[in-house]
Amino acid sequence: MQIRDYILRRLIVLPFLIVGVSIIVFGLTRIGGSPVAIYLSHEMSSEEVAEIEARFHLDEPVPVQYAYWARGVFQGDLGWSGVAAAPVTAVFPNKLAATMELAVASAVVAVSLGIGLGTYAGARRNKLPDHITRIISISGAAMPLFWFAIVMLIVFWVYLGWFPIGRSTPEVFASISHPTGLYTVDALLAGNFKAFRDAIWHLVLPAITLGYGATAIIARMMRSSLVEELQEEYVDAARAKGLAERLVLRRHARRNALMPTVTVIGLSFGFLLQGTIVAEIIFRWPGLGRWMADSVLRGDRATIMAYVLFTSVLFLVVNLVVDVVYAYLDRRVVLGS
Amino acid sequence: MTAPATNLQKTDAPVVASVRDLRVHFKSKAGIVHAVDGVDFDVRDGETLGLVGETGCGKSVTARSFLRLVPMPPGIPVSGSIMFHPRQRCTACDGAGCVACDHTGRVVSTCPACSGTGCSTCEQTGAETLDLLTIPERDLRSIRGNRIAMIFQDPGKALNPALSIRKQVAEVFYAHRSDELLASAGIDPSSHSLPTGLLRRRATQQSRTLENVLLSLPPLRSRRSAITAAADDRVAAALAETQIPNPRAVMDRYPHELSGGMKQRVMIALALACDPDLLIADEPTTALDVTVQARIIELIKELQQRHKTAVVYISHDLSLVRRVADRTAVMYAGRIVEVGDSEQIFHEPEHPYTRGLIDAIPGAHHERGRLAAIEGTVPELIDPDPSCRFAGRCDFAAEVCWTRDPALEPVGDRQVACFIHHPPEHGEAPTFDRTAR
Ligand SMILES: Nc1ncnc2c1ncn2[C@@H]1O[C@H](COP(=O)(O)OP(=O)(O)OP(=O)(O)O)[C@@H](O)[C@H]1O
Ligand code: SF4
Ligand SMILES: [Mg+2]
Ligand SMILES: [Zn+2]
Ligand SMILES: [Zn+2]
Repeated sequence: MQIRDYILRRLIVLPFLIVGVSIIVFGLTRIGGSPVAIYLSHEMSSEEVAEIEARFHLDEPVPVQYAYWARGVFQGDLGWSGVAAAPVTAVFPNKLAATMELAVASAVVAVSLGIGLGTYAGARRNKLPDHITRIISISGAAMPLFWFAIVMLIVFWVYLGWFPIGRSTPEVFASISHPTGLYTVDALLAGNFKAFRDAIWHLVLPAITLGYGATAIIARMMRSSLVEELQEEYVDAARAKGLAERLVLRRHARRNALMPTVTVIGLSFGFLLQGTIVAEIIFRWPGLGRWMADSVLRGDRATIMAYVLFTSVLFLVVNLVVDVVYAYLDRRVVLGS
Repeated sequence: MTAPATNLQKTDAPVVASVRDLRVHFKSKAGIVHAVDGVDFDVRDGETLGLVGETGCGKSVTARSFLRLVPMPPGIPVSGSIMFHPRQRCTACDGAGCVACDHTGRVVSTCPACSGTGCSTCEQTGAETLDLLTIPERDLRSIRGNRIAMIFQDPGKALNPALSIRKQVAEVFYAHRSDELLASAGIDPSSHSLPTGLLRRRATQQSRTLENVLLSLPPLRSRRSAITAAADDRVAAALAETQIPNPRAVMDRYPHELSGGMKQRVMIALALACDPDLLIADEPTTALDVTVQARIIELIKELQQRHKTAVVYISHDLSLVRRVADRTAVMYAGRIVEVGDSEQIFHEPEHPYTRGLIDAIPGAHHERGRLAAIEGTVPELIDPDPSCRFAGRCDFAAEVCWTRDPALEPVGDRQVACFIHHPPEHGEAPTFDRTAR
């Protein structure tokens, strides 16, 4: 199947999957009691409560509530976030930008470091670099993120003071406009180096912390698949042609070793996104994850649903990208079969 | 099929490569495996030397040693040398073939140490002599795929599944013919300008990501494409030589899209692309369908004659080797036990093991139906005692065979390692009369 046809076919399935996921989550948000609580205060009379219930259709049966919610989504209305005290759609883009900036930075760290370390170790099997990489990987996969993040925070912010927390320095933030909400991009657009450095400076600690676990997983996968590929006969055949070892490693062995690694990279993106919740809380990063955590604790259904909608789309797209990259790397793969 | 008529002339052809006392061992849990344990043989210019022996006797390890492709560890290089005498294009006829080069189009490269007058590095031959086991990695790389090429048993495993045929064949030209590619693309290879530097790095596959970006933009773009086109032309010509139909279409295929026979043709094209002096074919047809085997064997023979390439043809099938090889070396448990003219060996085997092998071929010497397999199994190659490796399976073994090791020594035109032909200084020699049958 052509790659384009495959992508189209997968995109057609996408809405059905999203409807399925949203129904399940909508049901689950009812378990913690009525979502009306988020809109109430102690001083309200029972008439006022009933009025609010009616306004948000909370007096109707759950399937009808879902229908109202779905109609809202189609009209571009994701509901009212009690936590943010604003419409979800008004707050979402900024929070999303913050989370994406962090997630992409961590992904860049994880993919480049993971592939680099894995290749370095795999090509030097059972030598010192390999052992060091193994220690890095095992610790990365074994440490709980919340614990590691707190340690990083204490060491680099509290004691050494090398890195700040939060997302930007207020004066610097105020000095430029933010059309995209991605502070690094905004700084570049404004041509403001100071703002760019500030944005990067704030990113480093949370991005490395969040990316470490994924780095470990990717490096381990890369190492083991490279070791396996290096035993294949085509590697010796490439050497027999007179190729430099660098080419044997990069063009021949590493390319094939990347195939299983790409799958792991796709999976670890999910892992990263999950990690943003913890990382954003600990590093005071004003993103979706922190908003989501508050919303879950306070039963803010509109926000939870928006988050779920977003993550399902993201996951499906990432999976699709992984499939396509995989098919590109391994020509034997027939997409869709 | 009869033996080629050129057999006798080949006896005095110059030597392309000589293997001396090659020993490659492997570390294993049970001890040291003496996989190759004192192998000696010569490969002469333009000949086909068959290397036969049972599975595990060390044929592939011997073959891979030529290009230093034995993995170390677990391999241990113990001793030995593989002296290689590279050839170069005959300047008198520019490769067309003349009297000066004995119609091979190639002449021996002169020894750079003595300019051909004879010195200790070239053992007074005046020919360039390289010990493949000790030359620096860099020099070895310029020989691999260029002066000595290799074909592997399973072409399905020897081709990279992720790269197109075009890329895999072109690599050989980029590795060894970059100057020619630059010249074909209209670029003066000797220029030192920055663009030429970038293009030269491209033609030798050294470009990094940033350079590739520069090369993909004008004004370098068109010259880069010219290099690619020059490489493509050579790839297509190389594929056409192995009778691959429609080479331009095959170039864009990936290995899994081709049949086994087709893949082996690609491997052969790749191996002969730079016109090597020596081709090492390690069981090149074993993994193929029987119907395809014969055609691949014919193709190798034909191309060998056209390129005047010496071939080491490895197989476990003696009757196949008899068909393809001018001379045959019989290998047993890490040693060469008999070397000589293929027909002679086939008709009058001197070594008891060779006799056993020939007896095991149905209908070779005997009335139909008589099948004499050699009894017993190959001995453990782990820390062997000093004895004839074949003693445990030999019908003629005498006392000495268990305590001493027979060396490979001349017997007529041949060399044989057996006490029957070279009685030991002490003790009673074994004879063919004393059969235990
Ligand atoms: N990579 C390796 N690691 C450990 N031992 C090896 C390795 N390669 C070869 N050997 C040992 O060397 C011996 C000879 O192997 P080799 O591959 O040369 O045999 P062969 O004659 O080519 O056999 P076949 O006909 O099966 O190809 C084997 O018995 C094996 O024990
Ligand atoms: S040396 Fe002895 S054991 Fe070995 S082959 Fe000759 S007769 Fe047989
Ligand atoms: Mg073999
Ligand atoms: Zn000539
Ligand atoms: Zn000399």
